[in-house]
Amino acid sequence: MKVRDVQHPMLPETTAEEQSRQRAVVSLRKILNARVRSANVRRFEEEGAPAFAARHGRQPQSPEDIEQAFFESPGYRMWSAVNRSVQEMIWLSVGEPIFRDRARMQAAASALAESPARLGALKLDPAYDPSPEIASVDVHLQPGGYARDDSSEDIVAGAFYETGGNIYSFGQGAGKSDSKAGVIFNLLRSDFPDFTPTRILDLGCSAGAASAAYAAEYPEADVHALDIGAGMLRYAHARAEALGVPVTFHQMDAAQLKFPDDSFDLIVSHNMLHEISAEKRRQAMAEALRVVRPGGLVIFQDVDTRFAPSDVHRVEKNWDTAFNGEIFWKTYGEADLVADMTAAGFAPADIAEHNMEAVSNINRWYVISGRKPALGDAA
Amino acid sequence: MTASADTIAAVIESGRGTRPYSLRNQEAEQVLNIALALMVELAASNDRIDRLERLLAETRGEPLDDLRNVLPDGDAAAERQAALEAMQMRVMRVLIDPREAVDGHPDAR
Repeated sequence: MKVRDVQHPMLPETTAEEQSRQRAVVSLRKILNARVRSANVRRFEEEGAPAFAARHGRQPQSPEDIEQAFFESPGYRMWSAVNRSVQEMIWLSVGEPIFRDRARMQAAASALAESPARLGALKLDPAYDPSPEIASVDVHLQPGGYARDDSSEDIVAGAFYETGGNIYSFGQGAGKSDSKAGVIFNLLRSDFPDFTPTRILDLGCSAGAASAAYAAEYPEADVHALDIGAGMLRYAHARAEALGVPVTFHQMDAAQLKFPDDSFDLIVSHNMLHEISAEKRRQAMAEALRVVRPGGLVIFQDVDTRFAPSDVHRVEKNWDTAFNGEIFWKTYGEADLVADMTAAGFAPADIAEHNMEAVSNINRWYVISGRKPALGDAA
Repeated sequence: MTASADTIAAVIESGRGTRPYSLRNQEAEQVLNIALALMVELAASNDRIDRLERLLAETRGEPLDDLRNVLPDGDAAAERQAALEAMQMRVMRVLIDPREAVDGHPDAR
């Protein structure tokens, strides 16, 4: 199932003029990434580091020094200013049509969610206070953030996530066949060829694009997905119904699962690790190990910042932490995730890190997997 | 169709958090933001012109390139030249009329 080129009634009707603006923002992002950002490390070497040395009488050494040295470069400062501006324009370019068409989209979502022919389910938890460390931030500057919930039928958080995410990803060079779930299908085929999941849990599912893709890929499987915000989940559920795939969406914290032990064959997350604190990450890993069945797989996929070849590249990639509302971006990028998985209870021999090719472009994805020992295996 | 200003305001006002600046001059960065937003608006306007040209060419049954390559001559050419110079005078005003720079802050007057 495609995840970025699907049509369904919860997407806003967009005028030709609005599409022009969105195309302009995608195009600007492509140019910025390919022709401006790509020179940032050179700017550090040629402008930033010498200016830092002149000011401080020493070469930049620590990550803090390196970050300061980047900002000594006028070219880097201009890139940073433009990148922030364009990121803000993503949300305005998709927000206009969403807010204009909001009532229709919301009615369409409600109709799908309440249809007698619905295939999946939505389980909201009114007692749950969406994780403040995520809910209080406009992650990647998305207005209102992941847990935005303006009314009992609101779906705006999901609409923002899907439409803004498409603009962002196309600007990163992703094609219309881009699919993070597809990366995991490829990993399962290559590294776990005999593994066919029948109960799947998608942690931090946001607008449910991957959740729906799992349901389509494994039509016999019982697919569950969770996230923190009701608005996001209403959208994800309605989207899955519109695409004709059964998924049960839960409002739940990945660090505090309400499923019994050994409930799932496969537990996945897509781009969740970089959105949560170290403490929540460690809890989520332990919870995943608890609810996956013996012999089952836990797989976390995330951004490729961890593959940075040097401290300078790593600091360059950490821009999102201070400028893009990605407050745990750096925490994720510099974490020892194998140690975290081990501390969560996975045996070192069952943990593997993977540098995965994206489905539709030259980007890479970081993946870490852990297998729970089958009954009878030595732990 | 352009969304109403109120719709745009609602989108803008629903964002939260600070705005970290990168340039050493905050005013300059705001002007940069305005310039980038105008680039997006220009792209939208260019797309509108393109749609009109295509529609006109189709309506008149003539090749699009022919329509796009109609060059003004005579009075029309002179009118375009005058309009071009007037537009550039407006845009280049601050350079054409630089004035002596003085600090306008109250404590500097």
